[in-house]
Amino acid sequence: MPQIPATSRRGLLFGTAAVSAGALLTACTSNEPKKTEQAADNAPAADDKPGKAVTIGFAGPQADHGWLNAINDNAKSRAKKYSEVTLEITEGSNDTAAQIGQVQTLINKKVDVLVILPADGKALTQVGLQAMKAGIPVINLDRIFASPQAYRCWIGGDNYGMGLNAGNYIGEQLKDKPNAKVIELAGLDNLELTKQRTQGFDDALKNYPNIRKVARQAADFTVESGQAKMAQLLQAQSQFDALWNHDDDQGVGALRAIAQAGRKDFLMVGGAGAKSAMDAIKADNSVLKATVLYPPTMAASAIDLARALGQSKGLSGMSELEIPASLTLYSAVVTKENVDEYLPTGFS
Amino acid sequence: MTQPASPAQQDAPIPTAKSAPAGEGWRRPLGLRADVRNLSLLGVLAVLIAVGGITKPDEFLATSNLQLVLTQASIIGVVTVGMTFVITSGGIDLSVGAIVALASVWATTVATQEYGFAGILFTAVIVGLGCGLVNGLLIAYGGMVPFIATLAMLASARGLALQITDGKTQMVTVNSVLDLGIRDAYILGIPPLVLVFAAVTVIGWLLLNRTTFGRRTVAVGGNAEAARLAGIDVRRQRLYLYLLSGLCCGIAAFMLIVLAGSGQNTNGNLYELDAIAAAIIGGTLLSGGRGTIAGSVLGVLVFTTITNIFALNNLESAVQQIAKGAIIVAAVLVQHRTLRGGDA
Amino acid sequence: MAPEPAPDLEPPLLTMSGITKSFPGVRALDGVDLQVQAGEVHCLLGQNGAGKSTLIKVLAGAHQPDTGEITWRGDVVSLKSPIAAMRLGIATIYQELDLVEGLSVAENVFLGHEPTSAGFVVRGKEARSATALILGRLGHPEIDPAHHVGDLSAAQQQIVSMARALSHEVRLIVMDEPSAALDPDEVDNLFRIVGGLTADGVAVVYISHRLEEIRRIGDRVTVLKDGRAVAVGLPARDTPTRDIVAMMTGRNVEYVFPERPDPARAVDRQPVLRVEGLAREGEFAPVDLELRPGEIVGLAGLVGSGRSEILETIYGARKPSAGRVLIDGSPLRPGSVRSAVRAGVGLAPEERKAQGLLMLESVTRNVSVSSLSRFSRSGWLDRRQERAAAQRATRELSLRPDNPDARIRTLSGGNQQKAVLARWLLRGCRVLLLDEPTRGVDVGARAELYAVIRRLADEGLAVLLVSSEVPEVLGLADRVLVLREGSVVHTADARELDEHRVLDLVMEGSPTA
Repeated sequence: MPQIPATSRRGLLFGTAAVSAGALLTACTSNEPKKTEQAADNAPAADDKPGKAVTIGFAGPQADHGWLNAINDNAKSRAKKYSEVTLEITEGSNDTAAQIGQVQTLINKKVDVLVILPADGKALTQVGLQAMKAGIPVINLDRIFASPQAYRCWIGGDNYGMGLNAGNYIGEQLKDKPNAKVIELAGLDNLELTKQRTQGFDDALKNYPNIRKVARQAADFTVESGQAKMAQLLQAQSQFDALWNHDDDQGVGALRAIAQAGRKDFLMVGGAGAKSAMDAIKADNSVLKATVLYPPTMAASAIDLARALGQSKGLSGMSELEIPASLTLYSAVVTKENVDEYLPTGFS
Repeated sequence: MTQPASPAQQDAPIPTAKSAPAGEGWRRPLGLRADVRNLSLLGVLAVLIAVGGITKPDEFLATSNLQLVLTQASIIGVVTVGMTFVITSGGIDLSVGAIVALASVWATTVATQEYGFAGILFTAVIVGLGCGLVNGLLIAYGGMVPFIATLAMLASARGLALQITDGKTQMVTVNSVLDLGIRDAYILGIPPLVLVFAAVTVIGWLLLNRTTFGRRTVAVGGNAEAARLAGIDVRRQRLYLYLLSGLCCGIAAFMLIVLAGSGQNTNGNLYELDAIAAAIIGGTLLSGGRGTIAGSVLGVLVFTTITNIFALNNLESAVQQIAKGAIIVAAVLVQHRTLRGGDA
Repeated sequence: MAPEPAPDLEPPLLTMSGITKSFPGVRALDGVDLQVQAGEVHCLLGQNGAGKSTLIKVLAGAHQPDTGEITWRGDVVSLKSPIAAMRLGIATIYQELDLVEGLSVAENVFLGHEPTSAGFVVRGKEARSATALILGRLGHPEIDPAHHVGDLSAAQQQIVSMARALSHEVRLIVMDEPSAALDPDEVDNLFRIVGGLTADGVAVVYISHRLEEIRRIGDRVTVLKDGRAVAVGLPARDTPTRDIVAMMTGRNVEYVFPERPDPARAVDRQPVLRVEGLAREGEFAPVDLELRPGEIVGLAGLVGSGRSEILETIYGARKPSAGRVLIDGSPLRPGSVRSAVRAGVGLAPEERKAQGLLMLESVTRNVSVSSLSRFSRSGWLDRRQERAAAQRATRELSLRPDNPDARIRTLSGGNQQKAVLARWLLRGCRVLLLDEPTRGVDVGARAELYAVIRRLADEGLAVLLVSSEVPEVLGLADRVLVLREGSVVHTADARELDEHRVLDLVMEGSPTA
């Protein structure tokens, strides 16, 4: 029974710690200084003259990842630029059923144009068809529907091109080096886009017979997995000349692993175009020398297209009266030379 | 009816008659059986090391690879130590991965980083403890089933983590934290994260095997009703156990911040499954009443070594997952066999 | 019931010969023979660990024998699985009821052989009416086949188990201590059922610790000891008790109680436990009780009379609706086990395995679990000291084997009970609450346990004893409180009572002259 006072004292201690912690934590959640203006606003708008009022419905997946978050920000800030555009944006969801429900709600609300970035393109085809049948034109953003009838216009990135451009950039850098070795840190392997990026990368490397891809590991777009997989790759390959990493978010972890291993003997190319990656390219003090864009500004462009559709206009700069049925964006390679140009589009 | 001499009195041994030393049998503690199971897991590890050594002798057996494997094991290892206690008590904590995520992003917000090293460490630990406290109160005093309470915590902690980060990666700018993760910080060739893991393991082992806390944990897991009737405060014990698990998550979150140099809401993905799997193949009973820290740590090392060997041999992640599943099944089957063998 | 069966005229229904079964480290059955005649009640006797459970599991198809032969109605058979045994017409009612609590009575009865349409659609109505029919035959038409089994009493669950056995075409039913959870009138009903079965030519293999039951319904007896059949087919009614007990235990033991000390001795001592108007709504009316050091007080009553509830309420495991419990004059916090334990109260619960023991652990850890802080300094355990103290306590109670590292589940019931007693002895407790201390304990080991309990009282402990066996309460206690439907109807010196008087009180509620 000597334990009676001891335990109750312990209980008290826990209590006070918890209370004081709570006070401190509320102070700590604040993330304010981090908020920065999304940069896509600077890009030229399609047609700046206000026209007929347009309500655009926007449905996207949950923004649990830097790039997807940038998509939302780009869409919102672009819509804000047009006084006549009202944006109806749904809570992002990765659940196909939930997203179908959200799109149907937007259809019922009778929005003028829909912009849909599906969590899963194939699974949302039916609801895209529904919207089109209801007379609401659909802009399909990035992840493509199974049927062209389900959208009026598709706009998205080029995953194959991303890999191709990354491969070509590395090829040019290493073209004079005999027996050059490259490795690849891929993204989530069960996504089709990862396979396309790898395919493009491999196809580009075929043009350079002196270069051999010696290793490939798949991370899952998270910093944690990027660090873990990169650390393993570095251990497995004591010497190589170049690394292509599919995603700048997981690249944060990969760069961390490279720094931890103290390796500097190769060049690294990133993917997607995060601000942190562009900053590193500009500073030129790490192995990261370039990144291949998969621009989230496509969301801003989608809003432009939606507005044009809603106001029955074409695109300025094009002779056609109608906007095109599909637009594939170019995956530019950002290097130290051109980084200033792209820096405003970098996402965090 | 009453007979003067009952047989009990006749053959009751006088305690002093054969004064056996109190220490007799002391060298053969009850933990022996668990150790036997650990031996079979050690065997698995030995086979893996042989496979690694044969397929990639230069890379696998290098010191740097040992450092790598141990570093990769350290974070999930700390979480598994906490999980082992919870499972031993007959509970489960599904929220560990989410707590790690929440603690890591909370500790890396700009506002927290202004407080530097101490601010990050303190916040990570307190967030872990706070989540553990909520889990513990719901389960011990709210009467909720651990599975449900921690499932709810999983969902809400992940949600809060997303809310805080807005889906963005929070880079750490505090150099004293970042420096802990690089090679220069190694102490006698041992990465600091591995030292933390080792310390948590040793403390966990002592706590489970040498303290009243550990004994009560096992009693609660073995038979909660009997423990209650034996005078143990079962509810308070449960509260402490989830606090402990939360604390381990907080420590792990800090370690992850050091390793990844950032906080992200996707951190700690599926840690709950990895930790449960490691504890179970280590020999901790999912139904409670028996737990082994050494086994859990071995379980973690087995999984990490598999990942390492597959990566060194440049094999696909799909194959890794298949191998992991096979190891879980094999280990549990072997355990069943050894358990049954000595049971009848 | 048929008279003495004549084995040479009618071939036996079942013959098991030379059955052996080993588990790692244990030879559970060592060449057992058993012969059962159709229509007889064949009793199986033996101490715990004698091999009864293993033998009936072999018979039920749950264990495969290593060697030996089983002949069923003249043919050699192998019982590869419980289903194979059931198909032959062998049903087993286990002591630990194996019902699914979440299913209804009818669903339990027809579990695994549901009447179906098209092979998979369960015809629920048919199952329910068939169940009702069987329950009626068993004398329990009041059990609703649609009722959930979890809501039934232990006795009703037993009936459901039996209905399950009878839902098959049975020729042989094995009953493992079917009367253990039953009240006397329930036991009468059970015997009526058994009589009905045997009249239909069904054989019953009946396992019980209670000799008087075997006398009442048994035809023949087979006695097991250490995995061997030491006596086969003895006449159940005529074999002297002394002989049966001698065969079971291997020595000459009587159902003996230790000598009681002079009753005057305790009277002048101050009571250590005082219970004042303690009550729990719906369970028992206000009880007053005093317990002095050195005294054993018994509570006698039927299942449901509130005897266990009183004990658990004193211990704080249940919260009283009125009244209080005082130890040395200071009240305990109501509904707090820890308060009771700290004040020196210990409980040996009725369900030893479910409420008392850590079955995966060693003897030491089971004994020390309530006194951990005694062997620790700021939380760190001194395991050497812990083990030594546990060993001292278990030696004092002559617990076998004398190995503190032995796992508790390998011990016999009596020795497990001693481990629970040792726990409180080690804790230094002053009031010991014993709930059915000899349940599941062999006849031979009981006397030893009685002696231990008396010795503890002699050393100054106050003991409150609950038992459903009236002779046990009368033989062991100094004073007896007789309970009926939640009220104390009589309090007397144990010497002034006899079994009939207590049973009268229990049934009628008024002392007969």
